[in-house]
Amino acid sequence: MRPKFDAKTLWMIRKEVREVFRSRWLILGFIISPMFAWMFQGAFLSFIVGQTSEEPEQVYITIEDDGIWARTLYEEIYANRSTLLIDPLVNITLEEGQQLVADKTISVWVLIPENFTQELNATTKSTLQIVVNTASFRATATASRIDTFAKRVINAAIVIRDLQVNWYTISPEANYGHQLAIFLVMLTSVLAPAPYISKSFAGEREAKTLEALLVVPMSRVKILGSKLVAGLALTAIYSLFTAVGILTYNLSIILRVGNLAPELQQANINRYTVNAYTIPLIMFCQFLLLLCAIGIGVVISCLAKDRATAESVNSMIMLIPTFVIGILGFTGSLLQYGGVLLWIILAIPFSHAVLFLNAVLAGTGTLMGLSINVGYMIGFTVVFLFIGAKLFEREAIIS
Amino acid sequence: MEQMTMAFEEDVVIKTEGLTKIFEKGKKRQVIALDNVDLEIKRGEVFGLLGTNGAGKTTLIRVLVGLLTPTEGKAFVLGRDVTEDIDYIRDRVSLLPQEAGIYDRLTARENLVYYGGFYGIPEEELNKRADKLLEIVGLKDKEHYQVKGFSGGMKRKVLVARALVIEPEIIFLDEPTTGIDTLGARVVRNLLKMLSSEQKRTIILTTHDLNEVSELCDRVGILNDGKLIATGKPSQLEEKFRAANLEEVFTGLVTGEGVYGGSTP
Repeated sequence: MRPKFDAKTLWMIRKEVREVFRSRWLILGFIISPMFAWMFQGAFLSFIVGQTSEEPEQVYITIEDDGIWARTLYEEIYANRSTLLIDPLVNITLEEGQQLVADKTISVWVLIPENFTQELNATTKSTLQIVVNTASFRATATASRIDTFAKRVINAAIVIRDLQVNWYTISPEANYGHQLAIFLVMLTSVLAPAPYISKSFAGEREAKTLEALLVVPMSRVKILGSKLVAGLALTAIYSLFTAVGILTYNLSIILRVGNLAPELQQANINRYTVNAYTIPLIMFCQFLLLLCAIGIGVVISCLAKDRATAESVNSMIMLIPTFVIGILGFTGSLLQYGGVLLWIILAIPFSHAVLFLNAVLAGTGTLMGLSINVGYMIGFTVVFLFIGAKLFEREAIIS
Repeated sequence: MEQMTMAFEEDVVIKTEGLTKIFEKGKKRQVIALDNVDLEIKRGEVFGLLGTNGAGKTTLIRVLVGLLTPTEGKAFVLGRDVTEDIDYIRDRVSLLPQEAGIYDRLTARENLVYYGGFYGIPEEELNKRADKLLEIVGLKDKEHYQVKGFSGGMKRKVLVARALVIEPEIIFLDEPTTGIDTLGARVVRNLLKMLSSEQKRTIILTTHDLNEVSELCDRVGILNDGKLIATGKPSQLEEKFRAANLEEVFTGLVTGEGVYGGSTP
């Protein structure tokens, strides 16, 4: 007795998976890509840890106020130079500081302005200015430490006082690092399925195996579905090694901070390592991203004449938005842009992966926001797979 | 049912009526690949489709297996309309396409077994059939080798075996012996003869080898520019056109030089 129809699909899946798993270089690519992304991230952030937690920075300071709070703040900074990793602390005038800023030769300049104490006493608020060259991780980290330290000094003395510091974020280097991870995750994810998808569709046509395949008594949707299942098996490998990559990354950070002071160790671990709870979410996002890439890849591959064309077009189409989003991501939140540019950004599914991962890694995600990101990526994939299925049904697919 | 609407002789397994296939090449250009083809092929026949490159042989086969939809006319296989009941047809026919490729990363045996699996044949049965077919085509000792290391002729033998592993009622073979050495081609021809004579399977093959046609085919059809310009037994055609052999018939008809000693009938 012949098995039921679904057994045919199972055979098709078995055949696709068997073929895929015999493509050693393809499998190797799916193992190396995520491992590389996270290991590179580990190496990069280990460098930042060293720069920001071990290396002292030269800090310029200008005191325009001779009141008690200005003096106290200066003395405390001076007394805690080693803790704050400041070496040397150089006193300069306002004019000298402005000149250094104009010359762009300054790393960190702390300016305690005129009337600092008076304002603090009169209004309970005052402003300390920190000018920092954010191109330097070390300078940025030093500025962050001064920021935190200054607030603690003033607020510890008079709790009702409120010192404002002109500084925009506490740990910009971590943010930068996370963006790099996201960019690498996104880049490797969108490119990873291309070889398999190209081989599986345009490659079948080029190898003249498609025609015989299309006359077997199975619907083309099932044939397409079988190929996608094999693609999903590959994404499972990718996701698995993403998890291995993240754990390797975490381990590299933990090992890197091992020789720091205990409080710095924990601070760096908290700041740089990926929380165990977020790993499944990262893998989930990556899975969605791979699905999007597969959806786009299927459409391209069904239209391309041969495998080389499919891979070239696929790379071009994937890389352009990925780089645009990646580069925009380095400038801050993608949502900061407005107008048409924002809509273009939001139309690209990879933007939603970035937003999702940023929100997850920064711990700022809301259920609604994350759901929108996930929903868009799933919707995008479904639409493209539908288009791919329609293209796969065409007569021209064999010619 | 559609098959009842046509006058179908009991032993006719393929029938086309006014079958036309036109390819649109851009907005202005059309290519008529099949032009009003009427054809009948009976069960157990080995039918040879002859024609120069681009005559429409492959297009006709593709229409009959449902890869292409007719522009006009009707095509019936095993009594079923190819545009309406293709799953029934595909379950019972096999195709060896022209220049067919093979899954290089699978072994010779896997190529046969997986293909059979797509037809829902149980694995145990497929393995038995694969054993037999690989023995026949002389590849039993290489059954566990990945096909990527095979020569072109060996690959072609695997493909022929693959087309037969499902034991189809009708086998479409588009130039089955192309690329195979003389001995290999002999093996394939003997296999086809056996399938036809002992198992009464219908075989439709295209080839440019007229000796092969004379040896294998019960009847032939000659296609030229999409038109079926002659059908019949090779001997009948030779007699009808007073030609010494099938090659004279074919050359005379497709070149327009004519037969009957120089004039087209």
